[in-house]
Amino acid sequence: MKVRIKEWNAVSIWHWNVSEDEVCGICRVHFDGTCPSCKYPGDDCPIIIGKCNHSFHMHCLLKWLELETSRGLCPMCRQPFQTLGEDEVITT
Amino acid sequence: MSKVRRIVKELEEVKTDLASGITLNLINETDISHLKGTFQGPPGTPYEGGLFTIDIKIPNEYPFKPPVMKFDTRIFHPNISSQTGAICLDILKDAWSPILTLKSSLLSLQSLLQSPEPNDPQDAEVAKVYISDRDVFFSEAAKWTKLYAIKNEQPTDLVKLYNLDSAAVQSIVNMGFDQDKVAETMHTLGMSTISGTGGADENRLIERLLG
Ligand SMILES: [Zn+2]
Ligand SMILES: [Zn+2]
Ligand SMILES: [Zn+2]
Repeated sequence: MKVRIKEWNAVSIWHWNVSEDEVCGICRVHFDGTCPSCKYPGDDCPIIIGKCNHSFHMHCLLKWLELETSRGLCPMCRQPFQTLGEDEVITT
Repeated sequence: MSKVRRIVKELEEVKTDLASGITLNLINETDISHLKGTFQGPPGTPYEGGLFTIDIKIPNEYPFKPPVMKFDTRIFHPNISSQTGAICLDILKDAWSPILTLKSSLLSLQSLLQSPEPNDPQDAEVAKVYISDRDVFFSEAAKWTKLYAIKNEQPTDLVKLYNLDSAAVQSIVNMGFDQDKVAETMHTLGMSTISGTGGADENRLIERLLG
């Protein structure tokens, strides 16, 4: 999976626009904070948004998708997880 | 250590949420991998009034792998082993998702009690009863609830348990019989009420009580 990371602030704004939930559903930490493996929020620990509009810490989601048992599905809606292209994010 | 942080958060969440009726506790403060959860039997089911305890073991890969849950409280249900308490529920196996929590898993178990799935049984014997005779299933499950899931501080109200007509029971008690004995006997004879005073039902019941 290829993920391009923008500036932290921008990521944060996307999040507020596309998701009503403020917590990463996987680690249950607020998106302002990092995933459990990271120390500093921002570029180092980005948020990833799927075409289904569900968002997670990228590190949390990758850990899930690595597992065979995930079958590549979004943990929330169980559709195959696909990332949203950047253009689409901005127009959302 | 996503596991430890998440479980600490989950414990806090459950503690502040009194509405769900769910409890979640560590067995030992130093071991985050072993918990006990409880929930109430759903109303309108043979599990009503019971408090069910679930043993919960957390794998190191949690929340990416599901918790291992089993019933500590013995229960009569097609998807739960009557011997070991092992549970057959998709979300605790292939359908697990890391957004599920211990609380949501316990709530799923609670709704499993409400809607058994006899076609995917964990206990084939129980499933057989469930499919062939719903009344027998219901009364057996209620009996197990009474035996194992209800802490008896007060004696159980048999009239309620067996769904008997309390006026009918009272009419016999008034003749000088013990209420529990009347209730047990009516239940054995398959009576829920007594039609008419001095009728065949009443005679049969009194004969049995005296016999
Ligand atoms: Zn996360
Ligand atoms: Zn991270
Ligand atoms: Zn989704």
